[in-house]
Amino acid sequence: MMTEEMDGNIIELTDAEAELYDRQIRLWGLESQKRLRAAKILLIGLNGFGAEVAKNIILAGVKSITFLDNRELSQLDLCAQFLAPKNAIGKNRAEASLERAQTLNPMVEVAVDTESVDDKPDKFFENFDVVCASECSLTQLKRINRACRKNGVKFFAGDVWGTFGYTFADLGKHDFVEDVVQSKKIQSSEAGEPALAKVKFETITTTVKKSITFVPFETILDTCDLPRDGEPYYLLKILLNYREKHGHDPLPSERDTDSLKKEAAVIIDKYKLGDKIDHLICENLYAQISPVCAIVGGVMAQEIIKTVSQKQSPHNNLFLFNPDTMCGKILCLGQK
Amino acid sequence: MAASISGVLDTDLQNAVLRSKVLVVGAGGIGCEVLKNLVMTGFTDIEIIDLDTIDVSNLNRQFLFHKQHVGKSKAAVARETALKFNPDVKITHYHDSITTSDYGVSFFKKFNLVMNALDNRAARNHVNRMCLASDIPLIESGTAGYEGQVELIKKGLSQCYECTTKAPQKTYPGCTIRNTPSEPIHCIVWAKHLFNQLFGEEDPDQDVSPDTADPEAADTAGEGALQTESNDKGNVDRVSTRTWAQSSGYDAEKLFMKLFHDDIMYLLSMDNLWKKRRPPVPLIWTDLPDGVAGCSKDTVEPGLRDQRQWSIAECGSVFAQSIKSLSKELAERQKKCPSDHLIWDKDDQSAMDFVAACANIRAYIFGIAQKNRFDIKSMAGNIIPAIATTNAIIAGIVVLHAFRILLDNLKACRSVYLRSKPNHKNLLLVPEKSVNPPNPLCYVCAPTPQVTLALDTTKMTVKELEETVLKTRLNMIAPDVMIDGKGIVVISSEEGETEANNGRILEQLGIRDGTILKADDFLQNYSLTITIVQREAPAVKGQTPDFLIAADPEDLKPKEEDDGSKEPSTSNGKVEKFDQDAVVLVETEVTPQSSDADVSKKRKTVTPPPDVVNKKQRTENSNGYEDDDICIIEDSDSDMQCIYQKSVSPTKHTNKPSETKYETEAQVIPNKCMLQKHKPLLDEECLIVYDEGDETPIPPTVKQQRAE
Repeated sequence: MMTEEMDGNIIELTDAEAELYDRQIRLWGLESQKRLRAAKILLIGLNGFGAEVAKNIILAGVKSITFLDNRELSQLDLCAQFLAPKNAIGKNRAEASLERAQTLNPMVEVAVDTESVDDKPDKFFENFDVVCASECSLTQLKRINRACRKNGVKFFAGDVWGTFGYTFADLGKHDFVEDVVQSKKIQSSEAGEPALAKVKFETITTTVKKSITFVPFETILDTCDLPRDGEPYYLLKILLNYREKHGHDPLPSERDTDSLKKEAAVIIDKYKLGDKIDHLICENLYAQISPVCAIVGGVMAQEIIKTVSQKQSPHNNLFLFNPDTMCGKILCLGQK
Repeated sequence: MAASISGVLDTDLQNAVLRSKVLVVGAGGIGCEVLKNLVMTGFTDIEIIDLDTIDVSNLNRQFLFHKQHVGKSKAAVARETALKFNPDVKITHYHDSITTSDYGVSFFKKFNLVMNALDNRAARNHVNRMCLASDIPLIESGTAGYEGQVELIKKGLSQCYECTTKAPQKTYPGCTIRNTPSEPIHCIVWAKHLFNQLFGEEDPDQDVSPDTADPEAADTAGEGALQTESNDKGNVDRVSTRTWAQSSGYDAEKLFMKLFHDDIMYLLSMDNLWKKRRPPVPLIWTDLPDGVAGCSKDTVEPGLRDQRQWSIAECGSVFAQSIKSLSKELAERQKKCPSDHLIWDKDDQSAMDFVAACANIRAYIFGIAQKNRFDIKSMAGNIIPAIATTNAIIAGIVVLHAFRILLDNLKACRSVYLRSKPNHKNLLLVPEKSVNPPNPLCYVCAPTPQVTLALDTTKMTVKELEETVLKTRLNMIAPDVMIDGKGIVVISSEEGETEANNGRILEQLGIRDGTILKADDFLQNYSLTITIVQREAPAVKGQTPDFLIAADPEDLKPKEEDDGSKEPSTSNGKVEKFDQDAVVLVETEVTPQSSDADVSKKRKTVTPPPDVVNKKQRTENSNGYEDDDICIIEDSDSDMQCIYQKSVSPTKHTNKPSETKYETEAQVIPNKCMLQKHKPLLDEECLIVYDEGDETPIPPTVKQQRAE
């Protein structure tokens, strides 16, 4: 997998790469940058959220990214999908996004695949180090996650509905290193001046190897013991159920109809929520709102970068953005 | 576009977005992301301003720019690319500085709200004042690495940008830089000063040599030093550095021998400096060591080219090469305009090479660890690393705040912090519980802003008052100053009106203890009442600040009499931070100092008043989100342009006799640095200012000081 492959071919960065990636190398280090430039990413679903993830990943300097999407660009996509030009409405979303995506960083291989994810055999996912799925049904998510697990591919999922969004990660057994910063007290009493003994502190950074074992997406779908202010979790369930049932997300034209409320009622009843999540149901949950795609897509891309570079602890396993409070919370669900 | 399709946004928001007019200040990392969010959401009328041009190192995150745009105006290209995303929006761009008089109150009043996406404190302060003066809501934001912050600034409702004291710029005492460096950063600061002495704008406060006006006299310099140690010698010397270099035709060998041999010999002659320090070892141009510690010459080290450690011999040849090209460039410029000079730029190959080589040679001489060019660039250029994802997340929150402002729901615009790791509540994005209320003592946003200014009216000149106090410290652009009740104009922003006052001592104009000054900045629509308190200048210049400023006069009372118990105690977890931070500056000062008594006295003098410490603790205990929730502020981007413009002139006219008494200063300084760094509402000007790249993350302690 990823590690062996990269250890096998240590290629130094070119001067052009060093210049382009200067500011981020100063943050995550040369080693991380080398791992990034060997990583192959599959991005499923080129909506506004997908465009944000694509932008961030391409700018970071991965080896390659493949856009997999069989949908056509719609008017609604243009609420947030800045990679596809307006005159491409009706064309394949992945194809429509290629040109602008490639311009972001000519050093990254950007490829397009217009088939349906359902037509891809499990083996297809082996071609990638990371798979990130968006706008998929529950059935599709479970299946892609299983295929990734089987092949040791890092699996991510994420979506944005209006101003609400989530990201999820199943990295199987993930090894990484983490910098631990400790502050050490140094007593330096100077000869002859005991009264003036200075207390100094020194920060010591040590790199520690760690490992986390993740759970698949389906195990987080039926959680009863949510932490406090975990309400957006129910909203996620409502919206995924809606998509599974209707084959699409709630439409702006349905804003004043009951179709979403019906789906909400099922969850409210099941978990005995009363009016606890009514305010969330009233949020703007239609199409995708650009600033929220930027937030959730930014978090998603940073998690992919973190995972590929095998540095720092990834979020385990669900990130929820609450549009009402602007809290961005990590929930660790489905653990046995 | 969201706002153009019915049902995507609720009707109120949709209408508000369509009708709004907004200003984005800055088209860098956050600015590009904000602009994208605005045009995609369907904002119809956007103005964007940035004075900067595009650099290659921007392209990894400022995604509206591509390789072919390098060198072009950020504002213009950002507009061009954003229009492709949404051709139906009206975007007006300005390739200009927001601090010019073209952008007055009437300009700001055109907008429903202003979004800052800036990378320096001076511009942030200015826009803060303009928005207060215009009573327009401002969304302030910043990122550093993985962390970021967004906050609302609205007159009367929230804290303004200047309600909290920001950490002062990192400073290094002149004597440490010139005589007794002990850390790599000291050598880097020295090398940047040397650059300015040789090629840049000469600044008397950036002297690099220990003494010796005349390189010919170097042989006897040591003796001279011993005899005239307490005299002021710097003035003569500083004129000569460039003159001498020019007269020698920027001969690399001669320059090297003066800087790294003769001057070092001179320092060695000041033998009491070296009683408890490792003495420096002079180098000879023709005999430079070519080994690198721990490296064999033949093995190729992995890593970037810039990450390879140079031998001293290599430093010597880089030194020679860079001098050759820099002096040539200077000569070419001066052919066109004799007063022209170079401006140090971390992205200029020769300028950066020069600083890296000089810093390493000097480090070697003083037995300090050498650094590679990559690391020196970070330190010399004050680069705060910036990445696309953090900027994207922060810009997203900025625009969500904009939605709330447009819906007149300002109270919902609580500050939001992005953390690099989830906090104890597993929050990655952490909102405050409510909007932080204004500081009633703020000298900017209080109804009648006032401060107490303690200085020596028998020493400070009008020009110093204008440059170091009003402009640099109080961030006025073009101040007018009158003596209250007398109608005497001390400083006028009209050219030529008060030039005659510049060199006069404050006392000569009748400014003394108790005098009240009215300072106005017409552009900022800002009036400040300043009460003068006479405070005798220290016997030795450079020991304490030239002036102190406080909103509360109590803060200025002499504290020499305070007993030690009021010092921050290291046994207290919260206050420990003070010392912890300070170690960065003092840890390598391992040599015991001869006058430790002075040190401890000094320390008391500048200890933060106990009430401030207590206040801070209370804050931390009461606000629910503990200190670890509140990370940083300021910006990401790393462009030095405005910094240099800013850092060169203010002290130009100050003629400070502070260049003597090296030893005494050297011993007091470590503790002084440490405490001044945290001292609230005080400032200091007498130490060499290390330009902080204007990209100073604000430490949590400072940020929180008044959050209660």
